[in-house]
Amino acid sequence: MSRAAIVVHGLRQGYGKQTVLEDVSLEIPPGQTFALLGRNGAGKTTLIRTLLGLLQPSGGSVEVLGLNPWIRPLEVRGRVGYLAEDQAMYGWMTADEMARFLAPFYPTWDAHLAGKLLDRFGVPRRVRIKHLSKGHNIRLGLALALAHRSELVILDDPAIGLDPITRKQFNRDVIEHIQAEGRTVFYSSHLLYEVEAVADAVAILDRGRVVRAGYTEDLQREVKRVVLSAETLALCRRPAKLLDVNRKAERVAVTLDESARWIAELSSGGVEHVVEDLSLDDIFEAFVIGRADLWPDQSPYRKAAVA
Amino acid sequence: MFIRVQRGSAVPISRQIDAQIRAQILAGALRPEDQLPSVRQLARELAVNVNTVFRVYERLAADGLIELRHGDGTYVARGRKRAVSTQLAERRREFSLELDALVRRALMLGVAAGDLPQWLLESIERVQQDVSLADLLSHDTESSS
Repeated sequence: MSRAAIVVHGLRQGYGKQTVLEDVSLEIPPGQTFALLGRNGAGKTTLIRTLLGLLQPSGGSVEVLGLNPWIRPLEVRGRVGYLAEDQAMYGWMTADEMARFLAPFYPTWDAHLAGKLLDRFGVPRRVRIKHLSKGHNIRLGLALALAHRSELVILDDPAIGLDPITRKQFNRDVIEHIQAEGRTVFYSSHLLYEVEAVADAVAILDRGRVVRAGYTEDLQREVKRVVLSAETLALCRRPAKLLDVNRKAERVAVTLDESARWIAELSSGGVEHVVEDLSLDDIFEAFVIGRADLWPDQSPYRKAAVA
Repeated sequence: MFIRVQRGSAVPISRQIDAQIRAQILAGALRPEDQLPSVRQLARELAVNVNTVFRVYERLAADGLIELRHGDGTYVARGRKRAVSTQLAERRREFSLELDALVRRALMLGVAAGDLPQWLLESIERVQQDVSLADLLSHDTESSS
């Protein structure tokens, strides 16, 4: 099990003339909980549908559990647990009936485990699905996604529409029943504070491109906000990984990735500055709507600095 | 053991958990031989990644504050005296950084640098008048010596 659970390389995906994913590359080692972060319409669901073999890649390559999902979709779907954004289930069935209905589709289905998970998650087993609450519905989906002992579980924005307490319980279930058993989780979400605590690593998807991927804590260590005076900024080199410039009167806040070297230069150059830590939320925002283009034109500032 | 994790904070979650367990051990709220929850239990309780909790435990063990006994559980370490003193040194270093931040804030508020010692003296006076806090401090020095 040392082989990566998911490998995506240079993936391009488009509907007609519209490009949805462009040059997406990811590698998710087995046992990792990976969160794909993106705004609505960033391409998260398209990527998931490609992983499940529901969409043919327009370019690049995709491998899930060592298989090409477009060539061998049934094998992939048989080994992956999938919880869709809007899980459509037969409302007239009960949870127990739904589990029995699904069993023949999966060679590794474990009926005993299905029942155990439903009880564990507190899902009423003899109530019609249409009468279940949203929280029960999603936990039913999770139980069914786990009942065939899936090595990889894909969760597409599962926490949408759940109240905060149910959301936390859902995360606890994910942690206890998937993560602690060493299974791989691919979690897509736009609720950052939600996945922050659960994920090992994240990738930020913006307008079809992965703009940054890494371990959550590495991101927090490497992406910083530096506040300094607008005047001294003119003397500074433009950081290679500049994300955002925000000027308020005489102070400028510069958000940048791979910040260590630039900050060291400020310190050794005797430039007065304050370094601020950022939350994952702040980091996401800087990557997605940061204004690196607001870095000042050097010439007028230089004149000001001289004068 | 009570631990609270603040999501969406600029302080990484592992550092939040780490700091709280350390503080509880240093303050004596967790005593030598006290058992800590298992990695899995704590991860579930806090709704936090299992690997995050595991990394925190490993770091605390490396610093000699807790012991991971294989097949048994996790306990607050017995021979923690030396660990505590180095920890204390580290907390004090942290405190001096916090003090820097306070001084910076004072300067921003227009307090003259020369007036700061007077502010500090007044603060010490106020704090020492607080009997309960003084008790706490003397108790603290006893238990850590």
